[in-house]
Amino acid sequence: MENKDIWQSVLAQIQFHISKANFATWFQNTEVISKKDGIVVVSVPNAFSKEWLSNKYNKLILKGLHGIDDKIKEVEYIIRPQSSKSPNLKPSLTTEKINIEQLNFEEFKVDKETNLNPRYTFDNFVVGSFNELAHAAALAVSENPGFTYNPLFIYGGVGLGKTHLLQAVGNKIIESLKKKKVKYISSEKFVTGIVTAIRNHSIDAFKTSLSLIDVLIIDDVQFLAGKNKTQEEFFHAFNALYEKNKQIILSSDRPPNAIPELEERLRSRFEGGMIADISLPDYETRLVILKTKLQEKHSELPEEILDYITNNVKKNIRELEGALNRLLIYYKINNTPPTLEVAKKLLKSYIFSPFDIANYKKIIEVVAKFYNLEEKDLFEATRRKEIVGPRQVAMFLLRKELKYSFPAIARKFGGKDHTTAIYACRKVSQKFEENDKLTEEINLIKQRIYSG
Amino acid sequence: MKAEVLKNNIKIGLNIVEKVVGKNISLPILDNVLINTEDNFLLLTATDLETAIKYWVLAKNTKKGKIVVPVRFLANFVSLLLEEKISLEEKKQNLLLECKNYKTQIQGFNPEDFPIIPEVKDYEFLMIDNKSFCNGLAQIVDVASTSQARPEISGIYLLFSQNTLKIAATDSFRLAEKTISVENKNKKNYAIILPQKSVREIINTLGEKDGDLKICFSGNQTLFEFPIKEMNHPQVQIFSRLIEGEYPNYQEIIPKKFKTHIVAKKEEFLNHIKAASLFSGKINEIKFNVDPVKKNIEISAHNPDIGESKSSLPTKIEGEPIEISFNHKFLIDGILNIKSSELALDLNGEDGPCILKPIGDSSYIYVVMPIKST
Repeated sequence: MENKDIWQSVLAQIQFHISKANFATWFQNTEVISKKDGIVVVSVPNAFSKEWLSNKYNKLILKGLHGIDDKIKEVEYIIRPQSSKSPNLKPSLTTEKINIEQLNFEEFKVDKETNLNPRYTFDNFVVGSFNELAHAAALAVSENPGFTYNPLFIYGGVGLGKTHLLQAVGNKIIESLKKKKVKYISSEKFVTGIVTAIRNHSIDAFKTSLSLIDVLIIDDVQFLAGKNKTQEEFFHAFNALYEKNKQIILSSDRPPNAIPELEERLRSRFEGGMIADISLPDYETRLVILKTKLQEKHSELPEEILDYITNNVKKNIRELEGALNRLLIYYKINNTPPTLEVAKKLLKSYIFSPFDIANYKKIIEVVAKFYNLEEKDLFEATRRKEIVGPRQVAMFLLRKELKYSFPAIARKFGGKDHTTAIYACRKVSQKFEENDKLTEEINLIKQRIYSG
Repeated sequence: MKAEVLKNNIKIGLNIVEKVVGKNISLPILDNVLINTEDNFLLLTATDLETAIKYWVLAKNTKKGKIVVPVRFLANFVSLLLEEKISLEEKKQNLLLECKNYKTQIQGFNPEDFPIIPEVKDYEFLMIDNKSFCNGLAQIVDVASTSQARPEISGIYLLFSQNTLKIAATDSFRLAEKTISVENKNKKNYAIILPQKSVREIINTLGEKDGDLKICFSGNQTLFEFPIKEMNHPQVQIFSRLIEGEYPNYQEIIPKKFKTHIVAKKEEFLNHIKAASLFSGKINEIKFNVDPVKKNIEISAHNPDIGESKSSLPTKIEGEPIEISFNHKFLIDGILNIKSSELALDLNGEDGPCILKPIGDSSYIYVVMPIKST
C-alpha cells in the first residue's frame, strides 16, 4: 500500500471521531512520508499541529495505522512547512495592473538558481509562420529534454523573441519536471564566469557546477566568437553534458556557420542537433502580438491605431511593444484614447527613427561586420575572393535598399566603372535565387541593418 | 482553579494577549484565553496558530487548575471594574469572577480543546536592548509585501551577525534596512524571516519597555521573552513561527554609486511632496525636475480631474540634472521613518533605484524604485 493511500484511509477513519473544524485545522497539509520498521513518519505543517497531533490524536492515529498494518508500532511527527511554490499562489493579475508603471527591483523576479525570469512562458508567446518551427522545436524539447533535439539552436534578429523562447523552455521544464536543474546564462556571464574561475584557480569547481546541470541554456552564443579559451571550456562542458543526454539550448543572431571565429569542432556540434530560425513577423502576427500585449496590460486601443502601429513598426517586436507603451502612457495621462493623428505624432520616433532607416554607412558597416572585415577592406582595389563577395553584396544592398543609381554606387567604391556595379547586382540577385546560403546571409544582414 | 489577582495587572495582561486573537471561524476556541495557575502566577495564553503570547500575572493561587474563556469579553468586563482585588474561580468550565460589589459567571470551554503551545526546546539565545530593537522593527515593518504571492518577502528579515543586527523588508518596489548593534556571543549568525503580524505584535506589546529582550532561536520557531523587572521570571513571551524560504539577496539592490545627490531639510521636503501628492492621479505619481545648476527641485503633479501643482524647493544638489517620477506614498513612507532633520536622496537615472537616508545616521537606508516617467 502506498503511503498516500495509508494516510487517506487513516484520515477517513479519524474524521468520524472528531469535529469537522478540528479535522480541517489539524489534518490540513499532513501526509505520511515514510514507513519503516514499524515506525511511521507523518509530516505536519507547523509546530502547533505537531503538538496537537502527538498529544491529542496520537492514539487515534496509531489505532488507524495499526488497523491497516499491524506491524506499525509507533508514529513520529516532523514539521515540514509547505513549499512556498504552491500553484495557487501565483501573483494575481490585479496587483500587476496597478503596478505596471511602478518599476520594481528586477532582481526579485529572476529565480536565483536558474536565472530564469518567470515572465517568459509559452502561454504568452505568440506563434506565427515566422517562428512556428522554432516554437515547435522548443516545445518538443521542453517535453522531453535531452532526447528530442540536442542541442537546440535558435537564431534570429534582435527583438524577435529568442530570449523569450529560450526562457519559456526553461520555465516549462522546471514547472513540469521539478527535479531537473535548469540554468540560463548569457554568454557574456558565461565568459565572465570562466575568466573569474581561471583567475581564482577554481576552474574545476566551475566545471563541476556545470556538469550538475540537466538543462543548460546559453543566450547569444555569437559573443563567444574570438574567445578561444572560453570556447575550449565550453567545448568540454558541452561534451560532458551531451554525453549524459543533458539538454543544451543555444541562441544566436545568426546560424552557426555564419559565426566568425568559432572553432570548427564547436560549429559542427552546434549544427548537430536542431537549428531553427525566427524571422520577421508578418502583419497578422504583429497584430496578434499587439493585442496580446494589450490584454496583458488590461487596456484597449482603437483598431485603426493598432493597424497603424502594425503597418509601420515591422522589424522588431520589442519596438512594437515600445510603441504600444508610449500610446498607453498617453492614454493614461489624458484619460482619453489617442486618435490616429495623435498616435502618428507620438510614434514618430519609432517609425522614422534614424536607426531604423537603412543608410549608406549602416549598410557598409553591417556588411563589413558580418563578413568580419574592416570597413576599408571593402573599398580596397583588390580581386581577392573574400573581399569581392562581400563587396558585391554591399553594392547589391545599396541598389536594392537605397535605390542608389549604378554610377553612384560605382563612385562610392572608389571610382569603379558603373558596369561593375551592374554586374555585381545582377550576379548577387542571380545567386540570391539559386544559393540558399547567400539568401540566408543577405536576409540576416538585412535584418541587422533594420534592427540596428 | 481558584486565585486572587489585582485588577490592573490582569487587565494589562488581557489587553496584551487579546491582540493576537483574530477572527477565527473554523476554530472558535482560538477566540479564547487560557488561564492557568503556575506557582505564584496566573499564566494567560492566546494564539492564532501563527503567533502565541504568554503573559504572567502575579497572583495568590489557592487551588490549581485552568480555564478557557472568551478573551475579548473578559477584557471588556474587567476593564469596567473599579475594585482593586478580583477573585477568580473555575466551576464546571465556567469562570466565577467576584469582587466586592460584583458577582459574575462567564461561560467557558473545555481547556483540553485549547491548542498546545509548542515548547521551544534546545534553543540558542542572545540578548538585545528592547527599545532599540522595537524602534528598529517599527522603522521597517510597514515596508514588507502584503501579498502572499512570495511568502519570503511578506515577512521581516532579521540577520544577527557578530556585532550587528540587520533588519530588512521589501515589497519589491522599495526596501528598507536598519542596522543596530547587538552583542552576539554565540559566534554564529542567525537569519530569520518573521511574519509581519508577529513583528507588529512584538512592537505593540514590548515597544515601550526599557530593558533587555531575550531572543531564543529554535528550528522554525523563535521566542521573544521579556522579564518581570523585580524578579527573574518572564513577564511576557511571544512565540512566532518563521517564514520558510531564502530571503532575496537584497544587498545587490542597494546601489553603491549615484548620479545625482540631493540634500534637503526633511520637513520642508516632506511638505512639498505632501502638497504635490494631493494632485497626483491614480498611480500616485509625482514628478521631480532636478536642476543642479540652479540648485532647485521642481516638484509637480497633475490630475485631469483635479488640476495641477508645481512647487520649487531650493536645496543642495550635485551631479546630473534629471527628471524622475515617484509614487508619493512610497517616498513619504521612507521619509517618515527618517529621524534626522536633514536627509539625502541619491538618484540613479530615471529608472534606477534611489536611496533615501538620514544625514548623520548610517543605520537606516530606504531604497525606492521610481515610476516609469511619462
